[in-house]
Amino acid sequence: MKRKLIVLLLTAAMVASMAACGGNEDGGKKETSKSSEETSNKLTFSWWGNQVRNERTSQILDMYSEKNPGVTFDGQFSEWSDYWNKLATASAGHTLPDIVQMDLQYYDQYVKNDLLLDLTPYIEDGTLNLEDADESILEAAKIDGKTYAVCNGVNAPALLYNKTELEKAGIEVKDGMTMDEFVELSKEIQEKTGLRTNIGYHHETLPEYWLRAKDLAFFGQGKLGVNSAQDLQTIFDLEEQAVKEGWHVDPSVFTEITIGSAEQDPMIYGSSAGSMSWCMFAYSNQLAAVQEAAPEGVEIGITTWPTDDLEKSNYLKPSQFFAVTSDCKNPEEAVKVLDYITNSVECNEVLLGERGVPISKSVADVITPKLDETNQKIITYVNDVVTPTCSTISPVAPKGASEVFDLLKNLEEQVLYGQITAKEAAVRLFEEGNVFIASGQE
Amino acid sequence: MKNRKPMTLRQKLNTESVAGVICTMPFIIGFLMFMVVPMGISLYYSFCNYDILSAPVWTGIDNYVKMFTDDPKFWKSIGVTFYFALVSVPLRLIFALIVAMILVKSSKASAFYRAVYYLPSIIGGSVAVAILWKRMFAADGVINKILAVFGFPADFSWLGSTKTAIWTLIILAIWQFGSSMLIFLSALKQIPSELYEASDVDGANKFKKFFKITLPLLTPTIFFNLVMQMINGFLAFTQCFIITQGKPLDSTLFYTVYTYFQSFKFYNTGYGAALAWVMLLLIGLITLILFATKRFWVYDEGN
Repeated sequence: MKRKLIVLLLTAAMVASMAACGGNEDGGKKETSKSSEETSNKLTFSWWGNQVRNERTSQILDMYSEKNPGVTFDGQFSEWSDYWNKLATASAGHTLPDIVQMDLQYYDQYVKNDLLLDLTPYIEDGTLNLEDADESILEAAKIDGKTYAVCNGVNAPALLYNKTELEKAGIEVKDGMTMDEFVELSKEIQEKTGLRTNIGYHHETLPEYWLRAKDLAFFGQGKLGVNSAQDLQTIFDLEEQAVKEGWHVDPSVFTEITIGSAEQDPMIYGSSAGSMSWCMFAYSNQLAAVQEAAPEGVEIGITTWPTDDLEKSNYLKPSQFFAVTSDCKNPEEAVKVLDYITNSVECNEVLLGERGVPISKSVADVITPKLDETNQKIITYVNDVVTPTCSTISPVAPKGASEVFDLLKNLEEQVLYGQITAKEAAVRLFEEGNVFIASGQE
Repeated sequence: MKNRKPMTLRQKLNTESVAGVICTMPFIIGFLMFMVVPMGISLYYSFCNYDILSAPVWTGIDNYVKMFTDDPKFWKSIGVTFYFALVSVPLRLIFALIVAMILVKSSKASAFYRAVYYLPSIIGGSVAVAILWKRMFAADGVINKILAVFGFPADFSWLGSTKTAIWTLIILAIWQFGSSMLIFLSALKQIPSELYEASDVDGANKFKKFFKITLPLLTPTIFFNLVMQMINGFLAFTQCFIITQGKPLDSTLFYTVYTYFQSFKFYNTGYGAALAWVMLLLIGLITLILFATKRFWVYDEGN
């Protein structure tokens, strides 16, 4: 009798809970259909970034909601690598956020898979006003003549260095160093200050930067853009020489830090005498974070990456794009948000160029005087040093690029540890890299 | 003769088997939805070229062929994982047994020590401890500071050398000996004390007692621990992912981490799924081998 009762009770409980679920579902559906207009005005907006960016971005979303009653946001942010995992999984389930922050590294893949909305019609009808932006910046986001994302800030490759320490030793760094000058300078710095050099280990775009000086590209159509392994040898040669001559930072430091973190970069933090670097290969917008992380009283300088042909090598990098996804239910409204971010002075007074120099010239002009010293330095660098001597950025990275970059880092590591020669590294990068790109095209 | 009446719904629900099924439903549903279905999907993906963003394309056994013929990192990571598991698991068990032998003597403090030594098992797999470990073994970390006191050179980079990096992970694994220790403890207590008393009468020394009585009677427990820890060892992920990321020179690239990289860093998710399935088969094979050797060394009370 007892058992009977228990079974009955359990069954009843299960049926009830199932019914309850069903009820909820129905209720939910009714609700959505009733207030479909309201709910579709709720936009999910996702980005990657740091604490400063999270605060500022949330603030401008609130400001937008205030000015446009009925539009609300669900802001979602994560770290760079988690961000792309989340986005990829969401794309598989067709639940992408309405507006996403996009990077050139992934842009091509997302466009090719029809995951981003074509913004061209909105640009043509003026919903998204890009008239105030530089043409070369807009060009970078075009695929087959169509624009799928709008850039929020312009950066440029930048060599950051410990200005205070070098000044003490009476060393001055000038813009537009050649490769030989860079090597000489590194040696001189080690002699006078003991600081070593970190030749951009882990920096994916360095080989490309130096190839551009030779009128070559890192990525070509379905293969690497170079014709021989020799062309890829520059970075390995430098690293090999530096390790042999003892002015490269001890590569073991890279196993102890989180690479990419400003606080832990060998220029800021060193765990031993052999692991402090005088410089850091970076992008201009990183100066703010690095200066913030630097010990008190240390001024960080900014100059160009060394190259034998600055004009050919150097470029403006439109970064931190925003795009509307194809899962967005209300593209019109989402595009308006992009326009707000691009053209509103009020909005950029909050963002303050954290993602890079605003692409709209009039906006940039208004906010520049309001920036702190470091951010002014960034704008001066981008506008006065890079813009006059640079050329168009290389095309977006193809599929398979992340594996090539991983291979590059792996080979750099082996060269730094003296396991293989620069020549062997270049041959492997050439052969295996070509395979990765070719299989990415399948 | 009356024919058997068809059962009413009420009666049907009343039978034991139906009740059993209903009661296990939560588990069955969970198991199907979160284990069987995803496993089936991943098996399918393992035969595809799939990058999450675009639809999977069937490529047959290409992924598996590539793995065995054209992927040096696959072999490298297998080697690293075997090295890690085969070194860390026996060491961990030996360590667990030693501590259990010490703690088995009941005293007031032993309960406290049991809890203390079990702690690393709970927290050892966490991200926080992994980060702590990374700092401890850094060139300016506490390990070097301690060594410096004894006059050793003080800026050796434990994580930066291909010879020592894997050992920092092995030591972390050994440190988490708590759960094996508890199992050993209870097994030690079950060894009948008459056996020891008898051996005392026969004049056996401590070593003889350990090797002739304790160890043989513990073999079933050792076997159980070995199987469980071996499986855990092959699936280790957090330590490597947080502390070394496979560096330096892939000398600590665990198989699971490599699978993760392929799936979620390079977005070769189909290939990653294939890697995962190979790992499943490998672990199955190793467990089988362990069971096959069982009759040669595990004491069976029945016989």
